[in-house]
Amino acid sequence: MDVQFAKIEGRSVSYWVTVGLLAAATLAGFIATLIMNNHGLYLSGMTNRVPWGLQISMAIFYIGLSAGSLVVSGLYGVFGKMEYKPFARIAAYLAMLFLIAGLLSIFTDQGRIDRVFTKPFTFVNPTSMFSINPALYSGHIMICVLYLWALFKEKGTLTKITSLVVVLWAIGTHTGTGAIFGFVPRELYNSALLPPSFVAAALSSGAALMILVIVGLSRATQRHLDDELIIWMGRRLLSIFIVVTFYVLLIENAHRAYLAYSHEAGLFFLFGGTHSFMFWVGLIFIGCVVPAVLLFIKKTGTSVPWTVFASVLVVVGVLFERFLIVIPGLIHPPELFPGWEIADAVIWEGVVNYAISPLEILQTMGVIGAIGFAFVVGLKVMPLAPTEARVLPAK
Amino acid sequence: MDRRDFLKRSGAAVAGASGVLSLPVLSSCTAEETEVASNLRGTKWGMVIDLNRCREDCTECMDACRQENNVAYHGDRRWDVHWIRKATLHPKDESAGLEEKEVLLMCNQCDNPPCAQVCPVQATYKRLDGIVVVDHHRCIGCRYCMIACPYNARFFNWKENPDWPNKGYPRRSHGVAESCHFCSHLLDGGGRPACVEACERSGARALVFGDLNDPESEVSQLVAAGGAKRIREDFGTRPKVYYLGL
Repeated sequence: MDVQFAKIEGRSVSYWVTVGLLAAATLAGFIATLIMNNHGLYLSGMTNRVPWGLQISMAIFYIGLSAGSLVVSGLYGVFGKMEYKPFARIAAYLAMLFLIAGLLSIFTDQGRIDRVFTKPFTFVNPTSMFSINPALYSGHIMICVLYLWALFKEKGTLTKITSLVVVLWAIGTHTGTGAIFGFVPRELYNSALLPPSFVAAALSSGAALMILVIVGLSRATQRHLDDELIIWMGRRLLSIFIVVTFYVLLIENAHRAYLAYSHEAGLFFLFGGTHSFMFWVGLIFIGCVVPAVLLFIKKTGTSVPWTVFASVLVVVGVLFERFLIVIPGLIHPPELFPGWEIADAVIWEGVVNYAISPLEILQTMGVIGAIGFAFVVGLKVMPLAPTEARVLPAK
Repeated sequence: MDRRDFLKRSGAAVAGASGVLSLPVLSSCTAEETEVASNLRGTKWGMVIDLNRCREDCTECMDACRQENNVAYHGDRRWDVHWIRKATLHPKDESAGLEEKEVLLMCNQCDNPPCAQVCPVQATYKRLDGIVVVDHHRCIGCRYCMIACPYNARFFNWKENPDWPNKGYPRRSHGVAESCHFCSHLLDGGGRPACVEACERSGARALVFGDLNDPESEVSQLVAAGGAKRIREDFGTRPKVYYLGL
């Protein structure tokens, strides 16, 4: 049975309202970036003690979300679950958009945006994760484009090869993103577990977002979707990803709090302020425990609405996880003189805080608006979504 | 624009970007090479800060630095730049009977600088004489160096600097990172760092500057005499700023 694809009609009022809102958000983000670029990044909530903020947190969140394509390609390309092939196009297109969103967030966060298109190409530093990662991301985007082309043209062999390459390359992308933080000598960053934990959380959020997109699209376009497809993804895949994410987070934090080297910083992370609340409530409870329980219990795990709800929780939880990778490691001071505390002086020396500024929120809205716009317009101009998705009979 | 066009164009754009990215990997030199070259060149600038000689209410070195290097001051602790700053240390365990003490904090001029390791454009790099400098015309303002510096010694120009006291040295635009460079522009002209000169003028002589590779220099002898410490040597960064009386 061949899978049929069709463009969406995109003539309804709600479609055009969506397109308009997304375009407006993009414009707002563009203006916010222009203002900051002209006057300086002091208009963000960042300071000399917290030099990375919302934009970088969101960038790694988007990069993680692109793992949805890894999941779908892995399912049918590596494990031969052909019933998931109908979603390959939409997954690959979304992965491309999320990688662009990640690059866009990093790009708009630079102090000298005017130099970003020249200096990194003429003075590559191979020891910098910030040199390696853009190569990984842009290579990933390129592979997604090739993969999409193979899917559109129904090139059998090329599709098979590229689906495998996408899986391998995506693991590289997420590992590299985790390494931006894991390979830095700060108590709350420095960790070999950060790259794998980034991959685990990326798989969770990617699979959860795929569920949301597939269900949302089939509802919005009234195209048939077998419940089985969603339930299997939720119960057999997302649930496992959540457990693995939880496990890696557990080990990472136990290790930090246990070693004398990072004991104090580890406790600060777990019990030291607002971020600890985000960790326990946002990440552990809302992002891991509740969705895992919902998916494992048979009654809720076999219901599409509950699976969708669990997926929303996972995406929110991983958003907190990304924020918690970036911010606590910065607001916690490095221990320069063990046994001594540095008193507040000409700069903030102790534990500081980070407050997101309105312009940063506008920038984030702009990036989401831009890729949302590209997504809904893409659905109208390209046959991305399947006309129906059914579980195929076993051959 | 139809689908074919879209794919073609995006494909071309991305191919161009990643192709260029993968090219110049061979162009950079490793830290080891620079170290060898530094030995060949023969100099390795370093500083010894004698905290016993540093006076409590003196700000001469900091003022001289700000004046010489046009270091931005906005009157707001979030964005002020300090290449050299004073901080007070409190003992965490009060029962040990230790007293508060003051330290001078600055860029440690690591021989193994994490900031240069992570700079994506090699705007921060180690000169042949071991000084870690920032090329302000190349910095893209990604702030990865500030993340990687375990000493919080690097600063960013969050705001345009309104003052330009020393027209002989450039001031930086907003959007670039910076830190102390041992007044390399003065060294190149045969001079010494502004803070060292100021400290000597004040009579305190708490800052001693010189060539760590020259066994006869005052810094080398102070280091060789023992008792000189570097901050968190366990980081493996091998700072070239030593402390006496820490």
